Amino acid sequence: MTNKKFLFVYILMPASVLVVFLFSLVIGLNDISFVDAVKALFGGADSNVTIIIKQIRFPRIIMACVSGAGLAVSGCVFQAVLRNPLADPLTLGISSGAAFGAAAAFVSGLATVTSFFIPFCTFAGMMISVLVVYLLSMQKRFDSNAMILSGVVVSYVFSSAVMLMFALSPANNVQVAFVWLMGNFSTFDERLLPFVTAIVLTGIIILSLAGNIINAVSLDREKSKTFGMDIEKIIKFLFLTASFVTAATVSTCGVIGFVGLMIPHTMRKIIGTNNVILIPASAFAGAVLLPLCDTLSRILFSPILIPVGIITSIIGGFFFICLLLKPKRE
Amino acid sequence: MIKIESISVGYLNREVLKNVSCNIDKKDFFGIIGKNGTGKSTLLKVLCSLIKPHSGNVFINDENVNSFSKKKFARTISFMPQRIDTSLSFTVFEFVMFGRYPYMNIFKIPSRADYIAVEKVIDFLQIATFVKRNINELSDGEKQIALIAQVLVQETDIVVFDEPTSHLDIGSQNDILEILRDLNEKCNKTVILTLHDLNAAGEFCNKLVLMEDGSICKQGTAEEVLNYKDIERVYNTTVIVKTNPISNRPYIIPVSKTRKR
Repeated sequence: MTNKKFLFVYILMPASVLVVFLFSLVIGLNDISFVDAVKALFGGADSNVTIIIKQIRFPRIIMACVSGAGLAVSGCVFQAVLRNPLADPLTLGISSGAAFGAAAAFVSGLATVTSFFIPFCTFAGMMISVLVVYLLSMQKRFDSNAMILSGVVVSYVFSSAVMLMFALSPANNVQVAFVWLMGNFSTFDERLLPFVTAIVLTGIIILSLAGNIINAVSLDREKSKTFGMDIEKIIKFLFLTASFVTAATVSTCGVIGFVGLMIPHTMRKIIGTNNVILIPASAFAGAVLLPLCDTLSRILFSPILIPVGIITSIIGGFFFICLLLKPKRE
Repeated sequence: MIKIESISVGYLNREVLKNVSCNIDKKDFFGIIGKNGTGKSTLLKVLCSLIKPHSGNVFINDENVNSFSKKKFARTISFMPQRIDTSLSFTVFEFVMFGRYPYMNIFKIPSRADYIAVEKVIDFLQIATFVKRNINELSDGEKQIALIAQVLVQETDIVVFDEPTSHLDIGSQNDILEILRDLNEKCNKTVILTLHDLNAAGEFCNKLVLMEDGSICKQGTAEEVLNYKDIERVYNTTVIVKTNPISNRPYIIPVSKTRKR
């Protein structure tokens, strides 16, 4: 790792996260000065400002940072493990499993019983889809193409099930479910924040430490086997860890698309494909992008809050169109 | 040192290797030749435990390879595939370091000994000029040398190469084969390789096997294997076999069918 890269990833990027965090804290429906925001965090501001900052914006921004980091890292790992730059929770069917679980919670009316029911059902839905993809891929010894095909199949099946549920449900249930599924940070239960943060951070630390292993897996499989590595076991472990990180974020905030695709692509262009540095870099970049998108979602049609998933999808769409139209360097 | 005993391998309904047996001694420069699709690469992959045979066994130093742990096996035999995926932007140094994985801890974090081993190989192959470059910026010849470096840092007694000189010009081909000869003669490694170029096989290998239709049809020294009768039959062409006046090794000249008439 060169010094430049090290400084970029471990100094400049965390600093950017801090700047975006503070920026997101002061921007919103109520204008709050930077000094008041900092005072509120440390308990020196008036009660209204303290409530807005401490109880509304602070947990929301932390959740956005954590989710952004988690989604970016899991996208990065899926792409390396499957040796496919388009692999992400969506193509692997994991997001559709989540949508299925959440939709079931809303449509059945159980979502209104307790706020924990939605994350519970979403998590369960995701784990079912992960399990199905896992079992199908196992038949082909975790071959990359088999895993992606299994993901696409699972994704279609669960999406059809969601559509079927929506078609048979009352319109108001469907609308609430739809908004939730687009992904947002306004409705999650604050009590889940420590759990989600703990799961995502543990996952990111493990996956960052495994950067060299992920590098070997991203090489030709036959070649990596000759280094004495149990590639199938490693793929299983990485797939399940990355799925778990995704599940933790998506089950609390809904399906937020494109973060897991856009961030690793951009970071690869900036710092290369070495996962030892790419994974922490993606984590920081995700923790910058998602709070920014969330702030946009709060102020764009203020006072109406739009789902952050819409913003990430629009930005992601433009990003990939630009990539597609960019002339190739000779 | 290596004993390949009645190996049979098949993909779907096609049998690729049929009851193949041969012995490879320590310090052999062992070449495998034959037409395309005769099972040369499959034999190498069986030897490197990348393909499980339907029947038969491979023994290294009288020990069945099935009883080797993955790590022990990786410290005994290293493999260089025909081609590498160079879409990833690793530097040559990072790429070579992969060869040290069998010696690293669970998270594969390189130790001082790993850095020293890589530096040693860089010196041996004299590639210090391009170790900082990106692997996908190298010429085909340089890529092959980077792959050889990766195999070398694995520090195994047996090194296996699948067509190491394919797609290379004659100068680069010779450079690569000279490096392999150095490995064999100076570093005492047993070199096993598949080759398409029969002249290179004749010039460099001390033992050859000629494969035909999934079986070994001839094995022995280069002089014994490279005779016009077997070569013409296996490759279905007309050749003249001569002796290189400088190295005293056999070489082969193909004869055009039109001119023959």
